[in-house]
Amino acid sequence: MKLDPVFIWTAFVQLLSAIPTTLAITVVSVFCGFIIGTITALSRLYRIPVLSQISTGYVTFIRGTPMLTHLLLIYFGLPMLVDGLSAQLGLGWNSAKIPMIAFAFISFSITAGAYMSEVVRSGLLAVDRGQIEAAWAVGMTTPQALRRIVFPQALAASLPNLSNSLIGMLHGSTLAFTVSVVDLNAKAQIVASTNWKFFEAYLAVALIFWGLTVLIERITGAIERRINLFRRGGVA
Amino acid sequence: MIELKGIRKSFGKNEVLRGIDLTVKKGEVVAILGPSGSGKTTLLRCINYLEKPGEGSIRIGGFSLDYKRAGKKDIHALRQHSAMVFQQYNLFAHKTALENVIEGLIVVKKMNKDEARKRGVELLEKVGLGAKLDAYPSQLSGGQQQRVGIARALALEPDVILFDEPTSALDPELVGEVLSVIRKIAKEGITMIIVTHEMGFASDVANHVVFMDGGVIVEEGTPSELFGNPKEERTKQFLKRITPELIYTI
Amino acid sequence: MEYGFDITYVFEFIPKLLDTLNITLFIVAGAIALGLFVGFLVALPRLYHIPVLQNISKIYVSFFRGTPILIQLFLFYYGLPEILKLVAIDLSKAPVLLFVILTFGLHTGAYVSENIRAAVLAVNRGQVEAAYAVGMTGYQAFTRIVLPQALAIAVPVFSNLVLAMVKDTSLAFTLGVMEMTGKAQTLGSLTQRYMETFVALAIIYLIICVTLERVLLIAERRLNRHNNRDQETRSWFKNRKRASLNQLTRELNLDKKEVPRYEA
Repeated sequence: MKLDPVFIWTAFVQLLSAIPTTLAITVVSVFCGFIIGTITALSRLYRIPVLSQISTGYVTFIRGTPMLTHLLLIYFGLPMLVDGLSAQLGLGWNSAKIPMIAFAFISFSITAGAYMSEVVRSGLLAVDRGQIEAAWAVGMTTPQALRRIVFPQALAASLPNLSNSLIGMLHGSTLAFTVSVVDLNAKAQIVASTNWKFFEAYLAVALIFWGLTVLIERITGAIERRINLFRRGGVA
Repeated sequence: MIELKGIRKSFGKNEVLRGIDLTVKKGEVVAILGPSGSGKTTLLRCINYLEKPGEGSIRIGGFSLDYKRAGKKDIHALRQHSAMVFQQYNLFAHKTALENVIEGLIVVKKMNKDEARKRGVELLEKVGLGAKLDAYPSQLSGGQQQRVGIARALALEPDVILFDEPTSALDPELVGEVLSVIRKIAKEGITMIIVTHEMGFASDVANHVVFMDGGVIVEEGTPSELFGNPKEERTKQFLKRITPELIYTI
Repeated sequence: MEYGFDITYVFEFIPKLLDTLNITLFIVAGAIALGLFVGFLVALPRLYHIPVLQNISKIYVSFFRGTPILIQLFLFYYGLPEILKLVAIDLSKAPVLLFVILTFGLHTGAYVSENIRAAVLAVNRGQVEAAYAVGMTGYQAFTRIVLPQALAIAVPVFSNLVLAMVKDTSLAFTLGVMEMTGKAQTLGSLTQRYMETFVALAIIYLIICVTLERVLLIAERRLNRHNNRDQETRSWFKNRKRASLNQLTRELNLDKKEVPRYEA
């Protein structure tokens, strides 16, 4: 078997159709993850009883276990829960109706939430206390100070981490193939095994991921430069 | 004794030293003054090769070196003859006060550890830090850090100690403690070259004052000559701008 | 199919899964060892600005950080034998574990190299100057002054890399390696008690990760003794922030930063 350069291109073209699925998984999980992350981060920072303990437990558990186990637990656990509930309440639901991609959405959002929680937390912590004091000093209320002063600065500070999480979830989305979702990785497997050209197919998919990653880095880099204009002159 | 000849140094197109000749006698305390950008710090850093001059030569404690032809061994040998006290202290962050002082003794001078420790304790007591032997730099105030820096330089018993604006990073209230330590060791006959902005201190402690501007030595002499009766117009201008009353009220 | 969650199975499965713990840990150890070695090799050309080699280093790091580890795994598993066939090396009989460790090692190597680079550059330039001023050689300055401080800076990020590696070993099952996740899948389909097996699996990973994190935290504290006076970080929550590799590299602005030269 020889390396077939032409097939890399063929595979590349065939793989393009799976990009939306991969991006959908990535974006949904990062978006939901950000919401979960913000809630858990705030509840931990403000030490809200019960909620903060739950949050800590959740973050520890998710960060201490592989993303794959989250997916497997949701994939097997969620139907049990749904069918159990449906049987008890006589709702006539059926776990078979859950589309495969929903498992990926839910599970990856839960994964992303824990990592985002740390991102949001460190972003908020990066804002100097003097900033909120100054906001109070000019007469703002705490919510105003948070919204107008703290959050924008925290966002700027955590942009690199956000970009990292986005890339992490993009790469993590390759696990979706274990629940039969045809993302880029699964598509590559299909293309590879139908043509019996594994190396070429994986080379093509690697190039796509590489390109997407570099694209995300570039975009966030550009946003960062805009957002950080106020920081120009230097941290030293 | 130290002899610098024809030192030239450029950063890109900008020529910061335009041929410096300077002779420092043994036991002399030299203060180098001058406006910022005059090249005084660069000159100091050339003496221990932290900056590489484009041209010139140095003779220090019987060792001579032509900067153009200096190899690794020469640079290393040159550095054995001097010690430096930095503006930003530059204490080794992962070592305690005592370890900072004896690091050079153990690594460079190959002194045995017990002996080095004994010497280190003596020196730290001398600079008034006998109680801070095991403190890390992060636990010390700026003034204390700089005094450790001085003890570290003293430990090496070099031919000359180079002070690069030793007090300019300090809070005003901490300047005094550092200057008094320098004053104390100046009386012991250790050769020192001090780049400073503290005019009063310079006139009080130095016995040889050098005024630099624009990369050249404009004028040099004893403090009374230079402060009391400056010959060059540039020196007069500079001294006029720098709070003159300080000089006479020591 | 009528079956609820039965916790007794979880306890029954844990020891069974632990039988394969050694394979998981073997992969981690092998990959980290290889990663450290590769990481140093990749970091050096960029620290010393060696032409051509530093560009290769950059591409290496970009590729391994820019593609999913799972894709890398497949790529090496299928690609390496074919490439090596060209130079008459037959890998068709090589154990799968070799490919797994190789891929994970190369992958971690990219992150390790960034970690090393960031840490070395984070050490203040004044430290090297002070070392020279007391008469040290370049080698002495590096080993006695820069390296110990760089190590302290590198540990938190490095410990994150180790933990990530532990979790990533779960991907080895895709190539049929019988590490813990692979074993769990088999156990699940054998007993049809998927939920219990995966809960057991998660518990084991969790214990490993939490323990490892604690151990590495102790190492970090020891190496960072000299910074015990918690300065700066005056945040509006009374908490300490912990720098990630990403923050570290960006704050330092590595690409523009002048690298200390260890001359003499």
